[in-house]
Amino acid sequence: MIKLLKIEFKKIRTYKIFWILAGLYFVFLAAGIAMAEFILNNMVDSMNKHLPIPVPHVNIYFFPDVWQNITFFASIRYILIFPAIIMIILISNEFTFKTVRQNVINGLSKAEFILSKLYIILMISVILTIFLSIGAFIIGISHTSELSTKLIFEKAPFILGFFITILTLQIYGFFFGFIFRNTGLAIALFTLYTFIAEPVLYYFLKSPIVFKNDISTYLPINAILRVNEYPAIPVLKKLMGLNLQESITFGSCMLPLFYSAIMIGLVFWTMKKKDL
Amino acid sequence: MESVLSINRISKQYGKIQAVKELSLEVTKGQIFGILGPNGSGKTTTLSIILDLIKDDGGDYQWFGEPPTKESRKRIGSVIESPNFFPYLNAEMNLQIVADIKDLGYEDIDRVLRLTGLEERKKSKFRTYSFGMKQRLAIASALLGNPEVLILDEPTNGLDPQGIAHIRNLILTVASNGTTIIMASHLLDEVQKICTHVAVLSKGKKLFDGKVSEVLSISDSFDFDSVEREELIRVIRTHPSFQSLDSSKETIQVYFNKEVNPGEINAFFFANGVTLTHLSERKRSLEQHFLELLQNNQ
Repeated sequence: MIKLLKIEFKKIRTYKIFWILAGLYFVFLAAGIAMAEFILNNMVDSMNKHLPIPVPHVNIYFFPDVWQNITFFASIRYILIFPAIIMIILISNEFTFKTVRQNVINGLSKAEFILSKLYIILMISVILTIFLSIGAFIIGISHTSELSTKLIFEKAPFILGFFITILTLQIYGFFFGFIFRNTGLAIALFTLYTFIAEPVLYYFLKSPIVFKNDISTYLPINAILRVNEYPAIPVLKKLMGLNLQESITFGSCMLPLFYSAIMIGLVFWTMKKKDL
Repeated sequence: MESVLSINRISKQYGKIQAVKELSLEVTKGQIFGILGPNGSGKTTTLSIILDLIKDDGGDYQWFGEPPTKESRKRIGSVIESPNFFPYLNAEMNLQIVADIKDLGYEDIDRVLRLTGLEERKKSKFRTYSFGMKQRLAIASALLGNPEVLILDEPTNGLDPQGIAHIRNLILTVASNGTTIIMASHLLDEVQKICTHVAVLSKGKKLFDGKVSEVLSISDSFDFDSVEREELIRVIRTHPSFQSLDSSKETIQVYFNKEVNPGEINAFFFANGVTLTHLSERKRSLEQHFLELLQNNQ
């Protein structure tokens, strides 16, 4: 594992596109988290103009809700797409440059090649999760007046949800990279699916005319987004009648992992079958 | 003889095209083995199969007398088709990745860069290299860690004459250290100059294989002349190995179906009362042999 990770680090260490995209991701991530409260309160203000009893301003950065809120805003489609696209590029590059052939010729097995990509995904997921945990902790401490251990860690499991989200989304990207092998095609199809095809399918499946049971929530991207479905903002509950999650559920975490397992299996199978 | 590579009746089909058909080859230690054939004869497909890039449809092969594994590939240095490296990494970094995969240290990198004349450019990104330099880096990577076997697919393709000479000398130097070399080429001249053994492929089938020196020494025609031409023709037709003759040229060219030596043939004429004014042996070159083999196979 260490040998494979060492090789992967060499491949990305001086790769400009990787660092530019990673930088953009951090900018979007930080901006998303920093501006979430401001944007929400702007919305509250404009709503209040039409309401007889004004709604109080929301506050999203205090313990324990900060865990749920930060991981929610870090998991919106537009921000999540970055790590997935980075993974598509890192994998399809190997086919474009034919370095996957060269790696196999030099003595890597096809399985080791696939594993090396899974290890780097795991590594990136762990780093991002730690990074976000530290961020959430610092934000929480500076926004909460009375601290207690119980209060601080009550909703900390949401961090685990973020880990699953970021891990599985990168595995989706990994899948697209390995199956389509062409950077442009894989990114285009992935983006089209995430932003157009699945949302359309989602509303189509949601309408009771099509299926009696609502299976829209089982769609792959939706399954990921549902791990942490709503931010912890009580006013939303009142206004929209939403059922807010108090914690992440086992079922919602297992579904994206289940999809990922199938995708990993398919990647191993196609790599075994197809010539390089 | 220690077996390096043993291919046993491998086949590969792409749709309707039979790329390789029941091909068997034996390469033993120390040989410079040329796989010669026109474009599309199955050379690269064969090399890709024995390096696990392509799955064969049937047959098997062994490296070093054992079924192939990734460990056997670590003992082999290969250049297949185009040089494949990360364009944004410099030569040194690209070779470090190769060394990592092969479980080698980095101490050999400078040596192979020096051998291929790339030492001064080792910090330049691969994408800034000229075609010839890319090809040389591919060879440098194949030489990393002194592999027991070197596989080269069209190693001088696209190089200028100076580059070709450099690579050929390099191959001969490496071979003189005991490395077995397997080289695919469509250039007869190249195989003739470098290889000790050759297999000729056409449409995925092996037409012929053997020592290059033996292929070159096959003599199947002689030129004769005599004052009594008619008598010469009459006599030679009675020779047991006679095949055909051509008397339209200045001298009479005679083809034999078996190998005959000039002394024996001279004695034969003398015994039959013909005095020759001209006798010369025409050595058939590998090129002629190659073309004939290909023609017979059409």
